[in-house]
Amino acid sequence: MWVKLAFKLFSRELRRGELTIIFAAIALAVLTVFSLSAITERISLNLAQKSSDFIASDRRLSSNHAFEPQLLTQANKFGLATAEMLYFDSMLFANDELVLSSVKAITGSYPLRGKITIKDHLTSPAYDVDTGPKAGSIWLSEGLFYTLNVNVGDKIELGAGLFNVTKVLVKEPDAPFFSLSGNKRVLLNYADIPTTQAVQPGSRVFHRLLFAGNEQQLSEYYAWLKPQLKSNQTWQGIKDRQSPLGNNIVRAERFLLLAGLFGIMLAAVAMAVSAKRYCERQYDPVAMMKTLGGSRKVIRNIFLLHLSLVTVFSIVAGLMVGFVLQTIGADYLASFMGTELPQAGFRPWLLSAFIGLVCALMFSLKPLLDLFDIPPLRVLRRNLGDTLAISRIHIALSMMTIFVLMWIFSGEIMTTLILFASTLLIIAILFAISRLLFAAGRRLGLRPGSSWSLALATLQKRANANAIQLISFALAIKLMLFLVILKNDIITDWQMQVPADAPNMFIINIAEEQVTPIKQFFRDNNIAHEDFYPVFSGRVDAVNGEKFARRVSKQEGEEKDKNAKKGVSREPNLTWLASLPEGNVITEGQWFTYGVTGGNDIEVSVFDGWQDVLGLELGDTITLLVNEQVINAKVTSFRKVDWGTLKPNFVMILSPNMAGKVPVTYFSAAKLHDSDTKAISQLLQRYPTISMIDIKSQIEQAQAIIAQVSLAIGFVLSIVLVSGALVLVSQVQASLAERMEEMVILRTLGAKGRLIKLATLYEFMLLGGIAGLVAAIVSDIALLVIQQQLFDVAGRLHPYIWLLGPLSGALFVSSIGYFMVAHTMRQNTQGLLRKLG
Amino acid sequence: MSVLSQLNVIQVSGLTKRVNTLEGSLTILSDINFSVKSGESVAIVGASGSGKSTLLSLLAGLDVASQGEIHLDGEALSTLDEEARARLRADKIGFVFQSFMLVQSLTALENVMLPAELAGDHDAKAQAVELLDKVGLSHRFAHYPSQLSGGEQQRVAIARAFIGSPKILFADEPSANLDRKNGQLIENLLFDLNKQNGTTLVLVTHDEQLAKKCQRIIHIEGGQLEKISEGGAANVG
Repeated sequence: MWVKLAFKLFSRELRRGELTIIFAAIALAVLTVFSLSAITERISLNLAQKSSDFIASDRRLSSNHAFEPQLLTQANKFGLATAEMLYFDSMLFANDELVLSSVKAITGSYPLRGKITIKDHLTSPAYDVDTGPKAGSIWLSEGLFYTLNVNVGDKIELGAGLFNVTKVLVKEPDAPFFSLSGNKRVLLNYADIPTTQAVQPGSRVFHRLLFAGNEQQLSEYYAWLKPQLKSNQTWQGIKDRQSPLGNNIVRAERFLLLAGLFGIMLAAVAMAVSAKRYCERQYDPVAMMKTLGGSRKVIRNIFLLHLSLVTVFSIVAGLMVGFVLQTIGADYLASFMGTELPQAGFRPWLLSAFIGLVCALMFSLKPLLDLFDIPPLRVLRRNLGDTLAISRIHIALSMMTIFVLMWIFSGEIMTTLILFASTLLIIAILFAISRLLFAAGRRLGLRPGSSWSLALATLQKRANANAIQLISFALAIKLMLFLVILKNDIITDWQMQVPADAPNMFIINIAEEQVTPIKQFFRDNNIAHEDFYPVFSGRVDAVNGEKFARRVSKQEGEEKDKNAKKGVSREPNLTWLASLPEGNVITEGQWFTYGVTGGNDIEVSVFDGWQDVLGLELGDTITLLVNEQVINAKVTSFRKVDWGTLKPNFVMILSPNMAGKVPVTYFSAAKLHDSDTKAISQLLQRYPTISMIDIKSQIEQAQAIIAQVSLAIGFVLSIVLVSGALVLVSQVQASLAERMEEMVILRTLGAKGRLIKLATLYEFMLLGGIAGLVAAIVSDIALLVIQQQLFDVAGRLHPYIWLLGPLSGALFVSSIGYFMVAHTMRQNTQGLLRKLG
Repeated sequence: MSVLSQLNVIQVSGLTKRVNTLEGSLTILSDINFSVKSGESVAIVGASGSGKSTLLSLLAGLDVASQGEIHLDGEALSTLDEEARARLRADKIGFVFQSFMLVQSLTALENVMLPAELAGDHDAKAQAVELLDKVGLSHRFAHYPSQLSGGEQQRVAIARAFIGSPKILFADEPSANLDRKNGQLIENLLFDLNKQNGTTLVLVTHDEQLAKKCQRIIHIEGGQLEKISEGGAANVG
């Protein structure tokens, strides 16, 4: 019998809109989590896919020793696709010209991710292919054609082998992002290595194994591989790669993750508010049913069935709307990017349904238990049970649930803790503010009958309810401000790394006497270029006279040991400079003072990452071996270096009095346009010894990813904005009954409609303004921590949001709030009385 | 239990109700003793704050006494837990409240059916239709409380009170929220149905005129039973 009654009550409550808010809240939670997790997963998959292009695989294993064959056979057993690569430098010979080139020998499956771009002839258009040269053939980069004076179809000698030049190599996916290895690149079939006889025991060669497959296969293989990894073998994914792109991808994932968390927090607030409101609205019917003899069990069954029904309906609706939203969003992103986003797996479906279920249960549990406890005596003593309305257990339970959900969703305790702590801070501050403000309002002694005094009186009267509203508003505003600022900061930061006018071609190996004519050449051809830096190689031989061997070897990529990654094992490229390069910050000591003191001592400024690795202190003397020449340099400063920029960065910068002491080549960068192609060919023909590294494609790829992430953030932000608005709506709706009562009283007492309207508007403006101000302050502080801790960027305060917060808060809350109660204000007193029952 | 007490459908002895406040324990009702016979109509009268509504809540088992005992139809309320008291109310008690207390999401007919449905009565609808007809609302079955006037809502509440043929009907200021004409109508309806069904009526009111329509009047003053007098209907019963 109770089932029939339960369904009847359910359908009526649904029709009366009593369940709409709770329904919308769960659906909102589900659709937010679904669309966010589906979109972030799809974008992540796409980003990972794109990123994989940059290492031509999903993971790679590097070493300067040959790999055991079982590493490959085992990878194949795990279902992974594999390719082998070998790098070495070798001489190319043709037409009596001899040139040192960087050779990359590859197996037929290379590249596992991405494409190789080639040209049939120097002047024909470039196109993509999936595989490298066949055995017996060789592909050369454009510069080599000029240096060796060869054409496609000619034969050249590489080591002991003779090869057919069949294509012009334009780009490989894993070409170095920035290196001084030059553009004398050669692509060779792996099977031809023996023919060249270039690889002999003791030769300086670099081996690489490439792997591609799904995450599970990769992690299973890595689990097998890890115990047997040798110290000279490095396992790398795109995220480990020291490049602006790798860093940006990590940041992008973190950002999207953060946005996901915000969605959950907002949904949770909406859910907690609406569950509480729904249960409060049921106090009277439950008291009545108990009075009429309804047993606790029957009442419990009725409302648990309601909860189950609303949960199931809202999860299904949330999934459906979420699916549509994410499809539209993904399609839009895909069409914008001219690419297809891979489909998300089951995770978003399961995750969002699970979160909907957990929300429904955890946020309704305490209000429902309170509801079951409503004494029947409430039918006579009307306010009995109202004290249950603000339950510490409900708040604690809700908070705990939010924390656990955030943790589950993010899998990152640090992010969760920072966000959670800042939220608690908001709550504490707002409670204090609401108390102070409402107490101060009493003393203000505003003119009775004015809208402001009525607004303040209303705020004071509902101090507790207002504190909760303030917290909800502040939370919603905080999350939105968070996203806006992060979006601005991250994107600006990224765009600064890849500015539109960034040089897209590095020119290296410029001899001293070529500097002036090349500068002239650039001037004649209207090509913008950067300064010409002197560059030379040197090995760190001793510190304070104490020699040391290679003290640091490369670590496993995933350990993110940036010092080790920079590697002191290799010979760093050195320069001398008069002024501190852009993006470098002195952390200790002073920039060169030779100019002031006029001394002859050579000074060196060292990247701070090397400070601990080499055990350096200010005043130490570093002995550098440059072409067997010993250079002693005194450490006078340590620098923080942003390796994320596409600008040339140096581990060690020597003082300008180094000039003339060692032979150097020069280095510059230029911004080239498509129309400059002919000029560049001329330049290469005129100065065949110089090398050019085209980073245009890398910049374009980086910019495409930035655009993609910006769009994703915009999408996420709009979802969070809608969620925030819905939270506000649910919150205002929760106070509608009380507002109606007040309005009846005020109207009955003869208050003018205008007075009530203005009072309502001012009340919401005050609430929104205060919430916005607190949200802005707390967001800014929390962001400072987040940016430094998570995004590894210099945190800064954003004074503009201190104004934006309260203004947007006042505008947002007052417009939504006023709109919500406007309907109520239009009704006549009799109508309102009826509605109040 | 004596034969006399068995005839008394309500037996109150030494009833005391105390509540704890910030200033200490406050006695709302003190040592109340009286009985009500089956089919009798009794009014409980007193000024605001005299404790008459508290007495009603204790009699109906909505609240528990601090001391003393109430027997309802032979059952000692102090021995029953909340669930058992709910069952007792379902079986034997009907209610009419000052503020009607209708469930807003249910129609007039469904509101009347509610107690019977909660008790698992399959004949709820037929009974409800008949009762709504008796209170003159056969044309208002499908109306929600917000679509009914105050007088109509109270008539629905009266119909609801009589469903399941309760032995005792408790009414708390049933006409206080209504105008004189509607109040009169409701009072008449209440007494007529009470007579027809042979129900025991316990009415809480501060309206002397209404109280006089009952057979006996229990006067409560400052939480104590001041006196029990005969009402205007004493000879009728």
